[in-house]
Amino acid sequence: MQFLVALLLFLGPLIVFGVLIGRTLESRHFRRLEQHAQANADFFVTQLKSFPYAISADAAKSGAPIGAVTPTLVCTEVVIASDYLKNFFASWRNFFGGEVRSYSRMTDRAKREAVARLIDQAKALGFNAICNVRVETAEIGDRRKKGAQAMASCLAYATAYHCVEASGRGAMGGLTPDVAWNG
Amino acid sequence: MIVTNTETVPGYRVQRVLGLVQGNTVRAKHLGRDIAAGFKNLVGGELKGYTELLTESRREAMQRMLAQAQQLGANAVVNVRFSTSSITAGASELYAYGTAVVVSEGA
Repeated sequence: MQFLVALLLFLGPLIVFGVLIGRTLESRHFRRLEQHAQANADFFVTQLKSFPYAISADAAKSGAPIGAVTPTLVCTEVVIASDYLKNFFASWRNFFGGEVRSYSRMTDRAKREAVARLIDQAKALGFNAICNVRVETAEIGDRRKKGAQAMASCLAYATAYHCVEASGRGAMGGLTPDVAWNG
Repeated sequence: MIVTNTETVPGYRVQRVLGLVQGNTVRAKHLGRDIAAGFKNLVGGELKGYTELLTESRREAMQRMLAQAQQLGANAVVNVRFSTSSITAGASELYAYGTAVVVSEGA
């Protein structure tokens, strides 16, 4: 009994502390993702297999000052850890059923971050669009194992290419099919 | 080597399709990383160690796939797909596959 109380006294503040920091970091992460989305609003993201509004290699060679011309694969991966509060909520949810919001947020974070990094990577290579975005859940370790920690890991990949500027995209441009930011 | 996950490459024409090429790897992190990941559960957030693990695996798998494509005499791999599975705790399998093709410039 005494041991349990001591354990609680020791672990309690640690967990509360961790949870508070975790929450802050999470909302900060979401804010950063939001800013990233706004800053890259003109970056063309689709998950179409064709290359919408692509600038052909010939046209690119004849004039347009673009860095890279030949489309290339970009890949990113993100692993987000769960925390004890999330696990606690999840086990509670498991009892009553329904959406496990804390985990939804966690997986959302991983996926959005992965797509944001795809955009960064493509930009760094000198491209202004990505198409055929695929976001997959990656598996690390055995989650079915008892006591295994929940985590959200994902692997995203897309093809980076050059497309015409937003103004040249015509009517469809306004609809910017964006897979990433619709939550 | 041109690598895309689409079936075509704009500005290029597929001359010859050489067939499936693949690369596979199973990697694990050292125990320290697993312990660090355990600590990370206090606050949540990104597990850099595991992200790195995935990056390394992906590079390795892709390298193997590209080596195979090169052996076949391809200059591009199209329609690349990745798939992952977990073998044991802290280890991940990454499998990359695509179609090796010979492309030439011109639509």
